[in-house]
Amino acid sequence: MTYPSVYPTGVTIYNPEKCWNGYTVFQAAEQGALVIDMNGAEVQLWKGLYGFPNKLLPGGYVLGHTGERNPFYGMQDMIDLVQVDWEGNIVWKFNMYEFIEDPGEKPQWMARQHHDYQREGNPVGYYVPGMEPRVDGGNTLILCHKNLKNPKISEKLLLDDTIIEVTWEGDIVWEWICSDHFDEYGFSEEAKNILCRDPNMRPNGGGMGDWMHINSMSVLGSNKWYDAGDERFHPDNIIWDGRETNIIAIIDKKSGNIVWKIGPDYNTSKELKALGWIIGQHHAHMIPKGLPGEGNILLFDNGGWAGYGAPNPSSPTGRMNALRDYSRVLEIDPTTLKIVWQYTPAEAGYMMPFDSNRFYSPFISGAQRLPNGNTLITEGSGGRIIEVTPNHEIVWEYISPYWGKVIKLNMVYRAYRAPYEWIPQLDPPKETPIERLDVKTFRVPGAAPIGRKKETTVEGVLPPHTPPPGFAPLCVAADV
Amino acid sequence: MKNVIFSTTGCIRCKIVKDFMNERGIPFVDKNIKEEGREDFQQFYTANRRAIYRGPDGIEFPVFTDGVEIRQGIGSVLAYLQGGKKLDGFVSIGALHKEWVDGLHVSSGNPEYTEDFIAVLMYLKGRGMKLKLDTNGKNSHVLRQILDYGLADFVVMEVVGPLGLYKRILGAEIDLNDVEKTISIVPQFPKYQFQTTIVPVIRQDRVPPIISYMTPEEIAETAKLIEEVTGSKKHPYFIRLFQPKEAQDERFRQMEPISPNMLFTYRTAARAYQVFTEIEKH
Repeated sequence: MTYPSVYPTGVTIYNPEKCWNGYTVFQAAEQGALVIDMNGAEVQLWKGLYGFPNKLLPGGYVLGHTGERNPFYGMQDMIDLVQVDWEGNIVWKFNMYEFIEDPGEKPQWMARQHHDYQREGNPVGYYVPGMEPRVDGGNTLILCHKNLKNPKISEKLLLDDTIIEVTWEGDIVWEWICSDHFDEYGFSEEAKNILCRDPNMRPNGGGMGDWMHINSMSVLGSNKWYDAGDERFHPDNIIWDGRETNIIAIIDKKSGNIVWKIGPDYNTSKELKALGWIIGQHHAHMIPKGLPGEGNILLFDNGGWAGYGAPNPSSPTGRMNALRDYSRVLEIDPTTLKIVWQYTPAEAGYMMPFDSNRFYSPFISGAQRLPNGNTLITEGSGGRIIEVTPNHEIVWEYISPYWGKVIKLNMVYRAYRAPYEWIPQLDPPKETPIERLDVKTFRVPGAAPIGRKKETTVEGVLPPHTPPPGFAPLCVAADV
Repeated sequence: MKNVIFSTTGCIRCKIVKDFMNERGIPFVDKNIKEEGREDFQQFYTANRRAIYRGPDGIEFPVFTDGVEIRQGIGSVLAYLQGGKKLDGFVSIGALHKEWVDGLHVSSGNPEYTEDFIAVLMYLKGRGMKLKLDTNGKNSHVLRQILDYGLADFVVMEVVGPLGLYKRILGAEIDLNDVEKTISIVPQFPKYQFQTTIVPVIRQDRVPPIISYMTPEEIAETAKLIEEVTGSKKHPYFIRLFQPKEAQDERFRQMEPISPNMLFTYRTAARAYQVFTEIEKH
């Protein structure tokens, strides 16, 4: 987050030997669905196609949306979900979830999709060996919005999250409504109090409470926990996370009930305390079978601000009452809640807490486990996508060069890496290594190089101390 | 014969009924079940347990008896006081509370007694109550009068199926023009809803009968009927599940209920003609 005024964009680090090479797709701000190769060459732009998010499918297909509902009336409602071929033809479309008549707008059916969807054949929407998403049939799970009232939560109009299952023909065959399970989420009385008074009211549509704000939804798929007899992890079950509540939950596909959950309060057990507060998280999903870390939960724990609870000096009302100004990528064993792997400012090499905010995206973002054990991380608010090894080495880095005019950020909601063979229309690209520049000597034109013209010794000046851990003479204590 | 009303402290509905009797000069004894009438009501309840309805919120008051008949709830008691048993088809015990009164059935009553039924509705409306009425399409002229007098706040029409199945589902003759007229009247109320329950239909009345549930196509036809009669695809339309265990017809009680997930298929079919179709939560 501590950006200089001038810094490079595009690919800045690339080690082909250590990377899991392929194409990367993401929604480039106000451009469309963009595919780049490992050197950052833009090999395809589906111009203007929305992506919340975009996902590639084998055969050179992309999933996205043809438009967004006028934000004056809706909040992050995509009007449809479409599958588009390499030449831009829509080969599949779903929009018949709700008929919308916004004043001054054309009445139309809308999917009201937001944040996620999953095509049958693959549980998580990214490459898994032997789990190819279907491209010419199969059902699709879609995360959608629905406005409703639920007096258990608040008297105010809610922007609720729903998950629907849609056939290839467009028929809805299953629906899950988040607020129906309010009693299962474990909110404290303090949390219920502020939720009732302010369920995260947004001005869109005259006011609606985006109380849960689910931002990811995926299927567990075949996994070792279920194979060992743990019914909570039935392959058909669905995992989601709610950014406003700090909840990560797994629902039983048959009953819709919560069968596994962490949050909203991370002080309720020693395991959760050791895990630490997960705040405003994104993209919590189970690493599919066949990938390193299979069965663990991978997520981008944003930090930032989220949650409902007791008021505190940073949250006079108790809304968004948990705060942290750096991010973590966590891989968690769902049965012990122990952190198996993580990438935090510490692993990034930043001194904590002084430099922690250099790995920080308070919103959006994601993490994808790659077949060689690397992790593709979208640090979304700054438009940065990195591939890190299990030992936390950055072997690929890309900064989006596309800043929006409406939203003045080069943000990337969520990027995905796909194998070259998923785009058979292209020959595999040339992979040119990019050495990491030494920023101490890197200069822009006109800037003087490092080095002194004159160096003077002052007699009596003492050398600096080398303090033991925790004794650094700084204004605040260091986490060492 | 002695009229007794069992009332309770703070019961506005009881007060309305007592006012009605006072205005009409009907003598009665008022027994407050929380005060001096406690023991009397306990004895009365013990003796008439089967005749007194106990809902999820307890016993609905007022409870009225003239020594022969027992009536319960504001609508039922007023209807009995107004017209005796002849209004029984029009009015039953409701389930709504506070200012709302339901249990008012336009299609189930004898239209010869429409005037008395209207008088009951007028009295309730005049005392500030909000009225929720239901109809299945029969007695459209009664509904028309209710509309003209501005008596209903919410009307729910059970469109039992496409016109071709109406008689078969109801098991009785019905004037289909009457049904269409009702469909055209319903949207003129301040609040309204069309609904259809996916009921079993006796396809062939032989032994044993051939019975199957209404199909998604038949629900679509029903939605289309509403569109064709009203000229609009934008009505609130609600699809409900049939509960075999609650069926009066013995033949239906043995049926397997429809899977709640099947409702989505029905909804999709109906939405081609009624875009705001919703389904019962399960």
